[in-house]
Amino acid sequence: MSISRVLIYSLLLFAAMFYLLPLVVMLITSLKDLNEIRSGTLLSLPQSLNFDAWGKAWGTACTGVSCEGLKGYFWNSVLIVVPAVVISTVLGALNGYVLTKWKFKGSNLFFGMLLIGTMIPFQVVLLPMARTLGFLGLAGTTSGLILVHIVYGLAFTTLFFRNYYISIPNELVNAARIDGAGFWLIFRRIILPVSTPIIVVSVIWQFTQIWNDFLFGVVYSAGGDQPITVALNNLVNTSTGVKEYNVDMAAAIIAALPTLLVYVVAGKYFVRGLTAGAVKG
Amino acid sequence: MKALKINNVEKTFGKVKVLKGIDLEIEPGQFLILVGPSGCGKSTLLNMIAGLESVTNGNISIGDRDVTHLDPKDRDIAMVFQSYALYPNMTVRENISFGLEIRKTPKAEKQAIVDKVSKMLQIEPLLDRKPKQLSGGQRQRVAMGRALARDPSIFLFDEPLSNLDAKLRVEMRSEIKELHQRVGTTIVYVTHDQIEAMTLGDVIAVMKDGEIQQFGSPQEIYDNPKNQFIAGFMGSPSMNFIPCQIEKVDDSMQIALESGGVQHLLPIKQNIAGLGSYAGKKIVLGIRPEQITEQGEAKADSAMVSCAVEIIEPTGPDTLITVRINGVKTVCRIHPTAHCQLDKPMPLLFDMSKVVFFDSDSEQRIY
Repeated sequence: MSISRVLIYSLLLFAAMFYLLPLVVMLITSLKDLNEIRSGTLLSLPQSLNFDAWGKAWGTACTGVSCEGLKGYFWNSVLIVVPAVVISTVLGALNGYVLTKWKFKGSNLFFGMLLIGTMIPFQVVLLPMARTLGFLGLAGTTSGLILVHIVYGLAFTTLFFRNYYISIPNELVNAARIDGAGFWLIFRRIILPVSTPIIVVSVIWQFTQIWNDFLFGVVYSAGGDQPITVALNNLVNTSTGVKEYNVDMAAAIIAALPTLLVYVVAGKYFVRGLTAGAVKG
Repeated sequence: MKALKINNVEKTFGKVKVLKGIDLEIEPGQFLILVGPSGCGKSTLLNMIAGLESVTNGNISIGDRDVTHLDPKDRDIAMVFQSYALYPNMTVRENISFGLEIRKTPKAEKQAIVDKVSKMLQIEPLLDRKPKQLSGGQRQRVAMGRALARDPSIFLFDEPLSNLDAKLRVEMRSEIKELHQRVGTTIVYVTHDQIEAMTLGDVIAVMKDGEIQQFGSPQEIYDNPKNQFIAGFMGSPSMNFIPCQIEKVDDSMQIALESGGVQHLLPIKQNIAGLGSYAGKKIVLGIRPEQITEQGEAKADSAMVSCAVEIIEPTGPDTLITVRINGVKTVCRIHPTAHCQLDKPMPLLFDMSKVVFFDSDSEQRIY
């Protein structure tokens, strides 16, 4: 192994450690009891594998006045994320399909306006969206929050699919039209089967965005319907005399686990999908 | 009944008129070639026949049906695309039978058609492969198979050979011709390659700037081009265009050719009435390379001119030599055994029986 190889690997190793250290500290801390935390240092290892803090974070920790842990809120998040991701991805795919293969007068302008949607900060839409939800009678409901995430995510998913579909030759659609296929059949049989990489990108992107969202969650949901991010905040901020760092850490890891899992499972598609179309293959 | 009838068809994109009133008719079973330089509107016309582009004005009939406003699927056509456009997620078998499946063809019949088509194109061993596992020539065959399976009243080909390498292109060209002879279906074929046009077509429509310049059989277009563009476009190497003075001497017309400082007067024995009014003026002589050959037995209507040889290009069956006549480079096709030497004058025989003349301003043929 040459010197430069050694250098490269040690640099990579250092970078990996640098990024993993916070997770390691969180993991270690979540496995200690309060005495160990007080007496030891941040990096000292736990004396035994003690999952009490995890159990408490999941089932009995107090978030505000109720003391039922994160489990209810975890399922809230799942109930919000799954429909929001599925619907925004499907609509984004349809939008991209129409904007590239069934262009209409003004479709480029339409796409340009959608692009602006990707640059609007969350804060800007808070009040108008609250009015809209109120008008629709969805204020403070899970469906309302799902709608907000779909609308906000649509600009991104459309952009992904549009840029992917533009590299699919139009002749393919023309051939299918001559073969007798219509709008939906072409989408289902020709376009969707070659969309896997970009579907993965869209799902990962939307999943992380929505699962990690705090602002929309705290504004548009109330009480027992709140997502896990809001509950985590409440859990950490609820003080009952002693600050239970181990429970806080376990709760934070629980809240982050699903996104971590999604990246590990589908990460390689993510990179492949993002670069697809950049180089013609 | 005509197989295809295009009546005063126009197409505009915004303010640009890309097709300016196209009229043509072909008989059932004919092989029509649309040929022209890029941007001449030939692919647009094909797409309009297919129904993939809307028709701005005029109408199109296939058989005895007016199809101007019908969907592609209702026109009874099949199309082979330049990029083949095979469905990447389907096997060869599924590609071929996709159209049949949409038309709800019974399973047994579908199977029989796929078998027949794949046998005809010799792609049986490839039936379970995906398009990306095929070579260019194989993809081309599958694309044709997909079209054949439909058994349409017209096949449309959009530059199907332009993505293949030179050798394969020649092979596939004769395969397409053979296929046409076997199935006998009407074909409309778009190409920018004049050799494909000459070899494949029963009738050729030469297009330029959204208009049909000439419509006729390959030989007719080759021998009797209507204008200088067609004359230069069809044939390889191209026809030579030599500007020259035309004089009336006694009762016959003569043209003046100069090479290496020596003047030659060549009499025109063809009876071209229109030339009379050009006496004393400049015109353009159009003469194909094979009409200028080495000295041999003199034919009735030929003339000898001695020219200095500037370039020698042996091609095998013939040798192309370039000489300078009236200041322009002129290509001649001579027998490879003929004696020629660089920079030395060589006597060349001009066959005047097939030469054509063009007006030097309008570039139109003088009849």
